[in-house]
Amino acid sequence: MPTVVLLDSSLSMTRPVSVEGSEEFQRKNLAVHGLTMLFEHMATNYRLEFTSLVAFSSLWELLVPFSRDYNTLQEALNNLEDYDKTCLEAALQGVSNVVQQEWGTSCPCQVVLVTDGALGIGRGSLRHSLQTVKQRVDDKKFPLPFPFPSKLYVMCIANAEELQATDSMDNLEQLINLNGGEGQIYTMEGPLCLKSVQSMFGKLIDQAYSPFHAVLRCGNLTSDVQVFPRPEPVTIDEEVDPIPKTVQTEGDEIGTGATDDTEEETSTNQMAGKSPNFCVLLHGSLKVEGMVALVQLGPDWFGMLYSQADSKKKSNLMMSLFDPGSEPLPWLGRMSQLGPASDAAENPYGEDDSKSPFPIQPKHKRSYAQNVTVWIKASGLQTDVQKILRNAKKLPEKTQTFYKELNRLRKAALAFGFWELLKSVAELLERECTLLPDSAHPDAAFQLSHAAQQLKLASSGDSKYAAFEQNITPMLTDFSGGGGADRI
Amino acid sequence: MRIFSVSHKTAFVVDHCPYMAESSRQLIECDMLTKSRSQGVIPLAPVSKSLWTCAIECSMEYCRILYDVYPTKKLVNYIVSDSEVHILNSWKQENQNTQELMTALAAVGPPNPRQDPECCSVLHGLVAAVESLCKITEYQHESRTTLMDTADRVANRGRIICLTNAKSDTHVRMLEDCVLETIQEQNKRAAGSDRLMPIQQCELVLVHIYPQGEETLVSDRQKKELSSVLSSEVHSVRAGRYLAGKLNVLVQQHFDLASTTITNIPMKEEQHANTSANYDVELLHHRDAHIEFIKSAQPSFHCMNGLKETVTLKWCTPRTNSVELHYCTGAYRISPVDVNSRPSSCLTNFLLNGRSVLLEQPRKSGSKVISHMLSSHGGEIFLHVLNSTRSTLEDPPSISEGCGGRVTDYRITDFGEFMRENRLTPFPESMVDAACRTPVERAKFQLERHTRYWPMIISQTTIFNMQAVVPLANLIVKDTLTDEDVLTCQKTVYNLVDMERKSDPLPISTAGSRGKGPKRDEQYRIMWNELETLVKAHVGTSERHQRVLDCISACRSKPPEEEERKKRGRKREDKEDKTEKNGKDTEEKGWTTDSERLKGVMEREKDEQSECEIIKDSPDSPEPLNKKPRLATEEQQPPEKSKGPVSLLTLWTNRITQANSRKHQEFAGRLSSVNSKAELYQHLKEENGMDVHENGKATR
Repeated sequence: MPTVVLLDSSLSMTRPVSVEGSEEFQRKNLAVHGLTMLFEHMATNYRLEFTSLVAFSSLWELLVPFSRDYNTLQEALNNLEDYDKTCLEAALQGVSNVVQQEWGTSCPCQVVLVTDGALGIGRGSLRHSLQTVKQRVDDKKFPLPFPFPSKLYVMCIANAEELQATDSMDNLEQLINLNGGEGQIYTMEGPLCLKSVQSMFGKLIDQAYSPFHAVLRCGNLTSDVQVFPRPEPVTIDEEVDPIPKTVQTEGDEIGTGATDDTEEETSTNQMAGKSPNFCVLLHGSLKVEGMVALVQLGPDWFGMLYSQADSKKKSNLMMSLFDPGSEPLPWLGRMSQLGPASDAAENPYGEDDSKSPFPIQPKHKRSYAQNVTVWIKASGLQTDVQKILRNAKKLPEKTQTFYKELNRLRKAALAFGFWELLKSVAELLERECTLLPDSAHPDAAFQLSHAAQQLKLASSGDSKYAAFEQNITPMLTDFSGGGGADRI
Repeated sequence: MRIFSVSHKTAFVVDHCPYMAESSRQLIECDMLTKSRSQGVIPLAPVSKSLWTCAIECSMEYCRILYDVYPTKKLVNYIVSDSEVHILNSWKQENQNTQELMTALAAVGPPNPRQDPECCSVLHGLVAAVESLCKITEYQHESRTTLMDTADRVANRGRIICLTNAKSDTHVRMLEDCVLETIQEQNKRAAGSDRLMPIQQCELVLVHIYPQGEETLVSDRQKKELSSVLSSEVHSVRAGRYLAGKLNVLVQQHFDLASTTITNIPMKEEQHANTSANYDVELLHHRDAHIEFIKSAQPSFHCMNGLKETVTLKWCTPRTNSVELHYCTGAYRISPVDVNSRPSSCLTNFLLNGRSVLLEQPRKSGSKVISHMLSSHGGEIFLHVLNSTRSTLEDPPSISEGCGGRVTDYRITDFGEFMRENRLTPFPESMVDAACRTPVERAKFQLERHTRYWPMIISQTTIFNMQAVVPLANLIVKDTLTDEDVLTCQKTVYNLVDMERKSDPLPISTAGSRGKGPKRDEQYRIMWNELETLVKAHVGTSERHQRVLDCISACRSKPPEEEERKKRGRKREDKEDKTEKNGKDTEEKGWTTDSERLKGVMEREKDEQSECEIIKDSPDSPEPLNKKPRLATEEQQPPEKSKGPVSLLTLWTNRITQANSRKHQEFAGRLSSVNSKAELYQHLKEENGMDVHENGKATR
């Protein structure tokens, strides 16, 4: 998950901290020291994650756009300049824009705000922003909560006592609350020095940047893997099941049938590159066979592993997580009911691999797949009547289609209690009968009057003739030998 | 949406009293004469639907959309009320489909205008709806059973949608009071029952339907809390398309739906097949499919008819050779608003036939942004949300840069075969095997069995590179073996014995080892060891698996101990001793019975004899010096001498080696080596017995 580092570069950050030792530090130096530590950690353990650096005072500036190049980030950090006063709201709005432009609103982001806790005075100060937060008009809304899923970590280059002396701590807490409680405030313990800033950033790293190590297991074949980005816990239904589900670190590959994957950590150890690894084997075979593997991440939580190639020659093992639940993909059915194909009486994939048991068809077809009758709009009804009349004119060739359409209309009219329509269509058919040209086949007249009569009987509501499941069948006439046998 | 929200249970109560038989006064012309035939024919009078017909078709449309988008877990109980209550279905999932409701409605028929209006009322239906909401659904039951201690987390909420023709606002108030009273009454009853649950929250949606051209007697009212349990809203709507529009809006509100209009769909004209025009189709789906738009409030929202919101997306004509892959972040079921219109059915049939359509955001300028895709799976159409911004997954490192990435001889094809053999298939819900394992547990168990011995790279294995071993390797991993299977395995072993007798070459990898690799008899020893390892991994499965191992032990040329003897007792080259020694070693090992050992020994002797003979006769036997009867090779001979004429390279190498050897003290290992091979970790063997050689690799 990408990170935005939002660094306070207001003048107050240049305040010196009293150190017993020789060198004199500014708060800014401590901030830079802590961030350097964070960047170093990420460069080693998280090098696939994107990070960007934004500096702010009364204005804000995107110093480094989202990047995996931690040298660039470090360099920008080292060349930081000092500006005027703190104006957090504008900066948070800036972060919101930067993230949305790059990743949209569905990608979760971590925002690390580094500040000395002097949050400005007067207009533009955080205090002022928070006081007016309820009186905003639509286009000037406070940037929190961020429109994207986020965690806001506030790293204070100050200790808790200092912040509590003013209302800074309250304001920062309010900020986290505004973000839906997503985030945390870190303060320094003891004197402001390199050691305490290290320990503070160490806590952040443990909390938010611990690498996700897991074991991918396929029977007795296993591989240690690291997953980027780190899968976060999910809460499915806060009422019935309020405990967030977390991915178990023992991934069980349970068989193949679709796709799947996990990304694995590259080792700095040259030797590791040379000893066989199950992930590489799995990836190679998935790629060659065009298959995916299902992977179980926890009770009732699954995902899939597959070979993902970018446009170039590079490809890697990728893992996609499904929504937690017993049936994440309807067309695969219930996951726990997927078993070895070899247990089936007949190979569901066919002897020559020409078949597949997937997708599973639902028990009932959806409305768009079953030719339902809807007469909400007059045109729907008119079309159905026209269809019957069109076929009526082509009797006896279209006898089957004629009765099929007629029965469809009859069923719907009965269900909707629309008996008037049945009478009306019966009249139409009777009139068609009188309008038949002399050249018409004699069967046509018989079928039309038979159909009209049956509709009239149905419209009486007499249970003998108005049964829903019953169909009007073509009249058997001396002429119907040919007509009755035609095909739709 | 929480599973047990108000939307879990919807009770429809439709008024079936005589006044519902009244005409809606919306006229429909169904006698559409074509011009050519209109002469002299008086058109038939238009038809009009009754209030009842309007109520039924609109409520069916509500259910149709609901079932399309939520095939499970959102349940409808359909109740018709006149002088009595007709309950048309139950909360059971199997009852949740429109066909069943249509059948039941046909049986009810339209209201009878001659029925005594005094004894008819929608109240009966409302009471029945409240009773019904107290009934536990199968999902509630299942959740309560699985949650056990925390079963109280399962809530009971519901919604009553009442379609009626009310007399006045006072009448409406009376209906609301009646529902509230019934809830209080029923909740008391439910508290003492296992199959009933008290209602925690109920939404009453009263829809007053009146004929067109009349003034309404009932006023609209927004949602209002009548008590902590009951809220109520009143919609006063003219019958016909107004009612249809209202219920369409309600189903969207009630089930978090949103609308997308696909625009620019090219369609052939019915009349003129060679021309095409562009059409629009409106689809409903869960509103999460619009999450990007909602959050960023993009301007692609357009208002249609001034009434409803819909997002317009442009059809992108599919390219057949498109291999672009998109990150899909969600898939949502759809339901067309106008299901049987021609454009809708053309679109849905196109998708049901397996095609996919990418959807593009309409933009006046800039590059094209594809944000959604329509595609069907198993007869259901889904609107897929595609990631249209930069992805954090871009530019992943190649797998070859990671652990094991430099290894080039993975058994990719074999593992592909392995995957195909372990493919999954759905089993019916009732399919549980004798050990009560679910299919997925059986699948994992099978993977475990199939991977007990599975070398990942070609140079780590001999047997899996041999066609001759395939029948045995395929069978031995099975959970149960038949006698016939055992026979097949035994045949495989005999076949290998035969190969060894003929001294057929083995596909032993020479990678990693210097020189030509191991000698033929050494190769067979490695092969036998590996085969034994494979079979031993399965020996505990059944007695028949054990028989396969017994067969190998009895037939294999040399037990691994012999080689040990070679190393340890190299100096005592005693032929007479040999048989006795073999016997003794086998006994140490302890995996054959006495009689079998005897048989094995005898067979081995025989094999050795025949081997000698065959090799003498064989025209393609390899270099005679090397492949002399094994007994001869065992005499300690420096390899150089056995090679005949010495090459220039060897001369040179020997000279250099000699020169170098004077400059340093020889390694202890090399000093005690045999054929330049020293055994490592000898002390382990002494401590642990003989198993160090599993793969024949320990000899390097």
